[in-house]
Amino acid sequence: MVEAFAVASGKGGTGKTTTTLALGMALARRYDVTVVDADTGMANLLFHAGLADAPVTLQDLLAPDASGPDGAAVDVADATYERHGMRVVPCGTSLAAFERSDPARLREVVAELAADTDVLLLDSPATLASKSAVLPIVLADRVVVVTQPTIPALSDALKVQEYAASYGTGIAGVLFNKVRGDLGSVGDQAERYFEGSTLGSVPDSDAARAARDAGEPLLAHAPDSDAAAAYRAAAAGIDPEPKAAGDVADRFRSAVVPERP
Amino acid sequence: MTGEPDAHAAAPIRERLPDGDLVGARVAADFAAPLARALDDRLTGYLRLEPGDALLGVGGSEAVITVESGVPVLAYDAGNAGADADDADGPAALAALAGTTPVRVERYRLPAEALASLHDTEVEGSDPFRVAPGAPARELAGDDALAERTREAAPAERRDAAGDHDALAAFLADEERVEAVRREARAEARARAEEWDLGDQLAE
Repeated sequence: MVEAFAVASGKGGTGKTTTTLALGMALARRYDVTVVDADTGMANLLFHAGLADAPVTLQDLLAPDASGPDGAAVDVADATYERHGMRVVPCGTSLAAFERSDPARLREVVAELAADTDVLLLDSPATLASKSAVLPIVLADRVVVVTQPTIPALSDALKVQEYAASYGTGIAGVLFNKVRGDLGSVGDQAERYFEGSTLGSVPDSDAARAARDAGEPLLAHAPDSDAAAAYRAAAAGIDPEPKAAGDVADRFRSAVVPERP
Repeated sequence: MTGEPDAHAAAPIRERLPDGDLVGARVAADFAAPLARALDDRLTGYLRLEPGDALLGVGGSEAVITVESGVPVLAYDAGNAGADADDADGPAALAALAGTTPVRVERYRLPAEALASLHDTEVEGSDPFRVAPGAPARELAGDDALAERTREAAPAERRDAAGDHDALAAFLADEERVEAVRREARAEARARAEEWDLGDQLAE
């Protein structure tokens, strides 16, 4: 079985990468989880996951000849790292490699990963302004919408939902992140407008910043923090639906080709 | 303070704000620049904001955010003459203003004592107008760093003002407004799908 989730926010700065890794680690207690940095233009998952020195990343797989830094041929397994109970596929940050990369190859990489996991989490770009940024939302089964409790962030979260609905992609739920104080009635009010449930409210936390600086996912760095507990509770509200791995892989394989960046 | 508040003190803030000296005016693409400018200049006075729809002659709305040493204190929105929206105060004024860029911003300076009575937390009638120091930067500009910088610049007693989510609650209570955001996003999604050759991926 496999279900592909895009973790998306529309707006930057909502803590999407922290969220992707936290949900991944929490879900990894029950499922085989693979996390992919699909934000190839502004990759930062590698820093959060302690993979800044990873010798081979998604960027190498997206190169036309799929070769690593030393020129040797690489495949998906070479860019997949076992970390914190899950598989992590980071993306590099080299501008030259980004310019050389062929985004169409992302479909093949994700299709291959989908064949061998239960839950696929795609850390999506923080924008809806380009075809490749929207692609994870187009291809995923459902979207986990991450938002801060502010008007601009929630407006963008609503936009993500409408983009998802336009492509027939479901909503797994809405997660409020970086919350100061009590959310009050906002969670209930928001639920009226979103398809999925409100997955939870993660408090604004110095622990999340410290985890990022330490190159560790929050759930590994500060497992006893309030924020970590909130993420675990949110993950419990996501119930992956079994799908035939082949169908999901085929969907990615036959997906539209994004424009060159 | 003892006895009945006098009639003057109980009058709405918008009727009691004295006219300040205009120190600058410009049309801004977003709210971050004028809010940052007020903070950097430690402006005491108010920002008079005329949102895009008013600039285009559609409505007649204007809003005011008072500032003390660059930190927002009170806000009101005089509604939109073109629609049936009512005046809004405090967090609801921020909700009404959100997303209305471009915005014409006029900066007015006032002597601190001219604002002292309006900004006094003990003054009758000022409470509904009050906003958290970082709320305009967060709710109008979506700028966390500026919001934090503003909060830190606020006097200690205002730094941890409650009501962080009041503006969002006011926004979510306005069903028509939320539906308008969703409707525009749906139209945008479909238009862009065609533009990006994703038309055949669209759901029925």
